[in-house]
Amino acid sequence: MYKYLRNKVAILIFTLPALIVFSVIVFYPIIQTFYKSMFDWNGLGKGTFIFLDNYKRLLKDSIFHISIRNGLIFAAVLAVLQIGIGTFLAFAVSDIALKGRNFLRITYFIPVVLSITVVCQLWLSIYNEEFGLINKLMEQLGFLYRQNWLSSEKSAIYAVAVVNAWQYMGYHFALILAAVKSLPEQYFEAARIDGAGKIKAHISITIPLLYETYKFCLILAVTGGLNAFANMYIMTNGGPGDVTYTLTFLMYRSAFRVNEFGYGCAAAAVLVIECLLATIIINKSFRRKQITY
Amino acid sequence: MKKYFTKAIIMVLVFILAFSMVACGNGKNADINKEENISATQGKNNEEKEESKPIKLRIYAQYADDDTKVPYDYALEALKKEMPNVELELDVQAQDDGQKIKTYAATGNLPDIFQANLDIINTFRTSNNILVLDEYVEKFGFEEKMHPSAMNTLYTDDGHCYAFPYAGNELVLLYYNKEIFEQNGVEVPKSYDQLLQAVKIFNSKGIIPLALFAKEKWPCVALFDIFATRMEPQGIKKLDSGEGRVSEESYTIAAQRIVELVKAGLLPKGATNLNYDQAAALFRQGKAAMFLNGQWEIEASTEVLGDKVDWMYYPAYDLSTYESTKYAFSGGGGPSGYAVSPRAKYKDVAAEVAAFLSLKYAECKYTMRGNPIIATKVDAPIVKPYPPMMEKLSQDIPKITSTTAFAWGLANAKFKAAIEDHTQKLLTGFYSAEDFVKDMDKVLNEIASSN
Repeated sequence: MYKYLRNKVAILIFTLPALIVFSVIVFYPIIQTFYKSMFDWNGLGKGTFIFLDNYKRLLKDSIFHISIRNGLIFAAVLAVLQIGIGTFLAFAVSDIALKGRNFLRITYFIPVVLSITVVCQLWLSIYNEEFGLINKLMEQLGFLYRQNWLSSEKSAIYAVAVVNAWQYMGYHFALILAAVKSLPEQYFEAARIDGAGKIKAHISITIPLLYETYKFCLILAVTGGLNAFANMYIMTNGGPGDVTYTLTFLMYRSAFRVNEFGYGCAAAAVLVIECLLATIIINKSFRRKQITY
Repeated sequence: MKKYFTKAIIMVLVFILAFSMVACGNGKNADINKEENISATQGKNNEEKEESKPIKLRIYAQYADDDTKVPYDYALEALKKEMPNVELELDVQAQDDGQKIKTYAATGNLPDIFQANLDIINTFRTSNNILVLDEYVEKFGFEEKMHPSAMNTLYTDDGHCYAFPYAGNELVLLYYNKEIFEQNGVEVPKSYDQLLQAVKIFNSKGIIPLALFAKEKWPCVALFDIFATRMEPQGIKKLDSGEGRVSEESYTIAAQRIVELVKAGLLPKGATNLNYDQAAALFRQGKAAMFLNGQWEIEASTEVLGDKVDWMYYPAYDLSTYESTKYAFSGGGGPSGYAVSPRAKYKDVAAEVAAFLSLKYAECKYTMRGNPIIATKVDAPIVKPYPPMMEKLSQDIPKITSTTAFAWGLANAKFKAAIEDHTQKLLTGFYSAEDFVKDMDKVLNEIASSN
């Protein structure tokens, strides 16, 4: 084994197929996107080289500003809800005193495996201003509060983000639960002996030891939020107007509605840089010495 | 020695695996800026004798509801009798702003025949992805088969034909439930003020004044255009051509009136999330007094509501202009229909089939779907009599003074996307008419400066 690990040629040969596939499917299209973003191109012809004009135009475009803001809101909502609720549920399910743990473990994961179209249609019904569950519940409870969830400039993006958070919260729950299960039991025994309660033990022991897991979950949540498209496409079509646009939706609009593929590629390039920056920032923020007890 | 032989075998296997996993180019170059001439008058196809050899053609066409399925099936049956050796493989058109067909074009995988609207025609003609059909129009005598009033649907602004049309100049209609109006003592509004009054009365009675499927953006554009054409008959068409600005009085007033009506409760809650089925259900179940859609809605609404439904002339700017503007309609047609890929293996056959399909499609709409608004003349007896609303429209068609365009018929894609987004926003109540005018004029100025 040691002989093989020292053999750099062998390592190269065995990693080459995956590297080629990755380059062809991921790396090359990214390079192409950056290249094509410097063209005035309708997606079909050769296009005219305009260097950074598309980027200059993006900076002045109000839809771009709306998209960036919505992407950040989406990412924040996902990070808070998916990781926050996922953590709470994982800690609860990891407690052996809780009855029905196995059932809950399966149930929390079900939305993840549902089709996004099904989930969006479900939530469209829930959000319906006239007959939706939320407004009707308010009515039944005697509250006057009603909300145009998906038609309001203020609430639309949050409403859509909650849908995505709800669907994929189970994924983060599963990751965090698996990490909690892998922690050695003696730490918690020691904490119990020292008189720490469950909450104190989670705060002082579980969460610090799950640092790497949380880093991974945060990267997934943030990049997932920045990349959001399907939810707004199905639920609001970017509307009303351009209120729920994200960068991916701006890409779609530029490419397929306005026939400006070059401009769409510029939006895509900005999105790639944004996700990369987010990942770097998160990695740097979470960088510290490994905690051992 | 054995060790080196083993290593060599391993390397060979790895390279075979690597190359087999990388997608090989199929030789189809999406970059169409080649010397190949897509004009129908040049080049030679691999034509076989169409009378004998079975030919399979791929067709990309709408096939979603009765309005699209019935005419397509009718045309297909007729094709089987007329050209029995031709088989069509249907690829159902997606409702996706042309994503799928544009992707086909980009990958060099266009179907032989596809339904194309003006946006597709404009995009494809610059990149040589659509066959010029001038030769075939002459060969099949297609122009003689067209209604003179629908000639605008055959040729584009460059004088060429790119698609065989079947739809004529379709119109936006404002349908209303006669029973609801009568029961609530509301007269059919002839002016904006009367419409505003009607909206207030219906709201007070818990009736939705206008069911609008504003999740699709084109009805939002149509609603704006209805008001705009009360003062400017050219409506959104004038803006699309770059000749007008939204800051002009007619468009500004249209925007202001829409905002006022929305605040008065014109639309159902969450209208911008209502799809066609939901909005139509509100109207057909008697929960909404009015409904906006194209004239193709006549068949479906009559089936459910019978004599209770009719359409009204758009409420005028004021009562004094009602008679002079009532025949200025919103909507209209443009070059669209069955187009042919320049890379079709059997180009001549595909063009012949496309022309035949468009004729039969129109024939079915005319004879069996109660829709006389078609592009081509029909020499077949009407099977299904026209509903009263269609009779009324047929009598008015010769009196029409002007039409504009549907959102999908707008020539400038950037303007189309902008007006769709902003008119939808206008229906929310949080977007002012002033902002609408400012934003739309900004887009129009950008378009003008880039031309």
